[in-house]
Amino acid sequence: MLEINGIDCYYGKLHVLRNLSFKIGDEAVGLFGPNGAGKTTLINAIISLIKPAAGDIIFDGENITTSETHTIAKKGIALVPQERELFPEMTVYENLELGAAFIPHVKNRTAERLEFVYNFFPVLKEREKQHAGTMSGGQQRMLAIGRALMADPKLLILDEPSLGLQPSIVSELFEKLAEMKKHISVLVTEQNVRESLKSVDRGYVLENGEIALEDTAENLKSNPHVIKAYLGI
Amino acid sequence: MAERILKRPLYIIVGLLSAAVIVLLLFWKPTVVVYGVQRAGLYAGIALPMALILGIVHIVNLAHGEFMITAAYITYFLCNSFGMSPFAALVPVVIVMFLLGMLIFKFTIKHTLKAPELNQLILTFGLAMVLTQGLNLIATSQPRKISLDFVTSSATVGETTFGTYGFIYDLAAVLILAGLLFFLRKTKFGKAAVAVGQNPRGARIIGIDVNKIYILVFSLAIALTGIMGVLFLTSQSIFPLAGGSYTMKSFCLVAMAGMGSLPGIVFASIGLGIAESFIMSFQGYGGWSNIVFFALIIIVILIKSFKGKR
Ligand SMILES: Nc1ncnc2c1ncn2[C@@H]1O[C@H](COP(=O)(O)OP(=O)(O)OP(=O)(O)O)[C@@H](O)[C@H]1O
Ligand SMILES: [Mg+2]
Repeated sequence: MLEINGIDCYYGKLHVLRNLSFKIGDEAVGLFGPNGAGKTTLINAIISLIKPAAGDIIFDGENITTSETHTIAKKGIALVPQERELFPEMTVYENLELGAAFIPHVKNRTAERLEFVYNFFPVLKEREKQHAGTMSGGQQRMLAIGRALMADPKLLILDEPSLGLQPSIVSELFEKLAEMKKHISVLVTEQNVRESLKSVDRGYVLENGEIALEDTAENLKSNPHVIKAYLGI
Repeated sequence: MAERILKRPLYIIVGLLSAAVIVLLLFWKPTVVVYGVQRAGLYAGIALPMALILGIVHIVNLAHGEFMITAAYITYFLCNSFGMSPFAALVPVVIVMFLLGMLIFKFTIKHTLKAPELNQLILTFGLAMVLTQGLNLIATSQPRKISLDFVTSSATVGETTFGTYGFIYDLAAVLILAGLLFFLRKTKFGKAAVAVGQNPRGARIIGIDVNKIYILVFSLAIALTGIMGVLFLTSQSIFPLAGGSYTMKSFCLVAMAGMGSLPGIVFASIGLGIAESFIMSFQGYGGWSNIVFFALIIIVILIKSFKGKR
């Protein structure tokens, strides 16, 4: 599905990702690591918000390293950014509608996608007419997830989706992710390693821009380094 | 939209007050209102495209009035060389201005989108100078005018007689406003443009080609200044420097209306047009109209910033 071969990314002189390779098949993959490890940078490189200095990114057999962000979105990668990136002066409904409007395979299925998203997050239907900018942080997070789901992506990328969500919704979210991964591939970064290990199949640990560890979720749960650094026992 | 305005008592008070002033004026100096409204149409027609660029591309185009005058000159030469009526020139002028907008965006503005705002101001200020001096070189600074007999048409209501041609600017402004609102609210492309205006990064990740939106919105706005340029030539004499004051006034109207509010531009223009035409109705005090203009701007901006602080 997605294959990253030896990419390097810089911000000016700051070397953030170092010769990094990784793979996502038809599965859910977790990406863990401390603040500043480069998780968001890796995601931005996948959807071409920043250009890697070396290496390439293959999606569905196609090299997308130099494609533009909007064409990558059209090919079936949807992102829930860490900063949400909603349209604050538009209503919830308009935000969702736009999530499907420019994606070729769903642009004529808005009603169907909308029903799916409203099922997922009933609160979005209740708040249909509210401006996105006036929603609470957690509600905005749900809207950002909803907007990404409108695109019915092949690969859904979530950058710290649990940030700002109440614990009950977090566990519900991960249950739903676990269900969703039957149909689509998922890449999720999380501080909440314990919760997310329950729903992903495999995980990578990113430290200082390099993959420090890669294993199945089961093995990561019992890995001493993961336990010490991320599960806080 | 309407409910939101009605919820704000200040707007109601200001609205009622202005309506009262206008009614009073209608009895006292009816021509002030008529010419004020005609002026308002001209101002609004020119300022609306500036607000469009500012709201979506986030660039203050300091060459805005100069684009309008450039269009007026193109119209002038089309009319003179081919004996065209200015209204027939409307179509080619709008197309030429659209293409000019595209070229200028591609080769200059695009490269300052990520630069600090000061660079953008300097760039568009430079563009204004290039356009003005270019016109000076090609057409000299001699004022130009075309004479059309229907421009002097007039009407008499009761005891007052006034020129009616100026209402063409109001017609143009209303059509431009309605067209833009329809475009932004109802068309897919327009909705994408609004999304880009609110969050370009968010727009990219849902599949919108942001660069394409920028260039098309900018060119569309320049094409609209083309319409106003054609109309401007029909009733006013033009010279290369004539655009500058329209840049300033558009900029001020946009600031008064609140960034990006299109209907606000129309109200601000009406206030301004009537105030100016009121001053000019006193023989010998015409020169004060600019002072009134800037005094009004300062008052409005002060009121707004006080409201903001509360
Ligand atoms: N726009 C930028 N300009 C310069 N440096 C940046 C920029 N964005 C990120 N960085 C730096 O790159 C490094 C990786 O940042 P990144 O946002 O990818 O980390 P992260 O793993 O997502 O962290 P977090 O868990 O806090 O979200 C950090 O050292 C950060 O300071
Ligand atoms: Mg991050």
